[in-house]
Amino acid sequence: MNVIDWVDERLDLTEVRHFVAEKGVPVHAQKIWYYLGGMTLFLFGVQVFTGILLLLYYRPSAAEAYESVQFIVTQVQFGWLIRNVHSWSANLLIGLAFAHFFSVFFLKSYRKPRELTWVSGMLLLFLMLGFGFSGYLLPWNELSFFATKVGTGIAGAVPVIGHFSLRLLRSGDDVTGATLSRFYGLHVAVLPAIASALVALHLLFVQRQGMSVPPAVEKRLKPGERLPQMPFFPNYILRDVLAWYVVIAVLAALAAFYPWELGTKADPFAVVPPGIRPEWYFLAMFHTLKLVPSHVLGIEGERLGVVVFGIAALFLVLVPFVDRRASRGESSRFFTVLAAAGLIYLVTFTIIGHYAK
Amino acid sequence: MQPTNRVQPGDRAPRTAVRQKVLALAIGLFVLVGSRASAAQETPPRGNSCVSCHSTQLDQRLVNPTRLFGGQDVHREKGFECVDCHGGSPASPDKASAHDASGRIAAMAFRGKPAGQALIATCARCHSDAELMRSYAPKQRVDQATEYAASVHGKRLAAGDTKVATCASCHGAHGIRLVSDARSPVFPTNVAGTCATCHADEKRMAGYTLADGSPLPTHQFNDYRTSIHYNALTKGNDLAAPTCNDCHGNHGAAPPNVGAVANVCGTCHAVFAQKFAASVHQPIFDKGCVECHNNHAVVKPSDQMLSAAAPGVCQPCHNGDDKTDKGAAAAGGMRAGMERLKDEIDRSGALLAGLQNAGIAVSDQQLALREAGSKLTLARTEMHGFDPALVAPILGDGMKIVAAVDRAGQAGRAELSFRRRGLFLSLGAILIFVVALGLKVRQIDRRDHERQAPSATV
Repeated sequence: MNVIDWVDERLDLTEVRHFVAEKGVPVHAQKIWYYLGGMTLFLFGVQVFTGILLLLYYRPSAAEAYESVQFIVTQVQFGWLIRNVHSWSANLLIGLAFAHFFSVFFLKSYRKPRELTWVSGMLLLFLMLGFGFSGYLLPWNELSFFATKVGTGIAGAVPVIGHFSLRLLRSGDDVTGATLSRFYGLHVAVLPAIASALVALHLLFVQRQGMSVPPAVEKRLKPGERLPQMPFFPNYILRDVLAWYVVIAVLAALAAFYPWELGTKADPFAVVPPGIRPEWYFLAMFHTLKLVPSHVLGIEGERLGVVVFGIAALFLVLVPFVDRRASRGESSRFFTVLAAAGLIYLVTFTIIGHYAK
Repeated sequence: MQPTNRVQPGDRAPRTAVRQKVLALAIGLFVLVGSRASAAQETPPRGNSCVSCHSTQLDQRLVNPTRLFGGQDVHREKGFECVDCHGGSPASPDKASAHDASGRIAAMAFRGKPAGQALIATCARCHSDAELMRSYAPKQRVDQATEYAASVHGKRLAAGDTKVATCASCHGAHGIRLVSDARSPVFPTNVAGTCATCHADEKRMAGYTLADGSPLPTHQFNDYRTSIHYNALTKGNDLAAPTCNDCHGNHGAAPPNVGAVANVCGTCHAVFAQKFAASVHQPIFDKGCVECHNNHAVVKPSDQMLSAAAPGVCQPCHNGDDKTDKGAAAAGGMRAGMERLKDEIDRSGALLAGLQNAGIAVSDQQLALREAGSKLTLARTEMHGFDPALVAPILGDGMKIVAAVDRAGQAGRAELSFRRRGLFLSLGAILIFVVALGLKVRQIDRRDHERQAPSATV
């Protein structure tokens, strides 16, 4: 009697067996995009694992944060590897999350009945950005300190609740040790709790509804014809594992050959160093805000920019409900063009923002 | 302040107790009035005819003293009034009796606007009175008038030159602020500008000469503003950085004697002065430190200065092209040694920085490298003895430290290579696994395909 039989005898795994035997993944030319979600999920797991290891030595105070990270990378056995993997994995995770977002957007996978899957995914994307923003400050180095000052300052431009949100984020009027404690709490407790729940919900939706087939592929099917299916176990899951291994290889190579710099310790009284900019995934937004004139139609430029970004984010969350044509199974060229424009904007402004002085 | 409390010549203790009580009362009032005190200070003092009359004059020269004295003025804040310096009778309602110079009406005869020696005497009446000054500023010196008499200003005044600076020239006459007040003309950051009022004025300085008979220059202020001292004082907020009075004296202002320059610089740069005093250059350098570092335009020293070739400062006396010039060879040798150590420290520092970013522990080596940096500083100091034999061992110690740091750095680099090799092997293992997994997937697909094919034909 093997372990599964032993458990089956006690818990009756008939339903699970049935699910495993029946679950299939549609096979078509666009199926490559299905792997992005799994890779993102895998990196989320890497972040949880390496984050917990870092927690064992990290000290969340202005006096000790930098030194504790320095201790991790220089004194702790394989601490350098864990920290480098955590930093690189965070960036790959956000990159893959964006790729997953755009693939779903272009393939119109958000259409009925998957509206809630899309909404939970969008919220997860925002949470990942929150993880990045809060985690960036934790090493308490010069770049992260001043970038957080700029970032939280942008939050202060939100109309009505701007000053409140700035104080809420900073735990005061300025970025101090209290901000570090707050960001630490957010990064290791609040955000992971919400993200875990949302990931579970997102996966549940995906399992319940199965993989979405792009409308273009569906249209090519003859009446009564069904797409060939690939068994999820083991055919698809093995491919997923293969993709994860590729991700591990990329992570290991980056961690070994491009160690994540620690920089110099933050000095709140120092002059702001030149070239302060946020992490790459905020660069497009940051550069756009820099380009907005100080006043537009009598409204403060930065405030207007923040409002426009807020509306855009809300619009993205509500896309499945706005794109009625896609929900009826019809072609919705407008949203395809919108996704393309968004992608071009993000890439262009990120590059310009990177090289801008 | 009651007229009976006036300071009289010869009255060395003018009812100190009463004055202290009045002072305490005044301070108490200031505290009570709080924020309104500053507004009150802007208004002229009331209740005496000096103020009531002068503040209504059309001639601004007569109004300004009441305005300035009524503002922030350390003497008024301590309870002094116009009459304490100018004499006269503030209680008298008419001009003639208020300005009584005979002493019959006023407790102290009216003396008008004191100038020259009279001004020195007026200020010295209190400021040279140790007992009196103890009541107001116990730590303040009381030898300013004596020092002034020994200064170039004082000597010229005694000789009848009325253009020279007196107390009011630097401190002001009315609206006098404490030296510690940043708005005072004698606050460290303002001293040079105050001296420059006269000393940068070519017209005013015309006719004055140096000891050698050459005209007194007026470019000192501009020179000083290019110096590291001025930079430290005004941009680095280092109030201990020297300004005019730190080298020339303040009340006893005079150019340092030629042989005393090293002593003046040595007040702050003690070790350099000590090394220089024992050096071969000490008997030769008439102007001491100034020979190489300039006097007012003291720029930040650099290793480039130590050379008999331009832009080095050894070149007017030593010739870098002359192989028999021992001085040039000594300068070149010391410079080369220092440059070598500096380069090695920079190189090792870059190596350690790279290793630290890669996660290799290098804090001990960084500490050692700082010690090597100290050796370089020590060598630069020792260089002022101009003896290569004394500099070489220090540089040698520095090089030994860098060599030890380098050895540790190379070990760190080897550790880094080991890690990378390890990860490279891991990558290889992952690749093999990925290939194996890919083959397995293909095998499963083929098996499934074969399984479905017969059923399709059925």
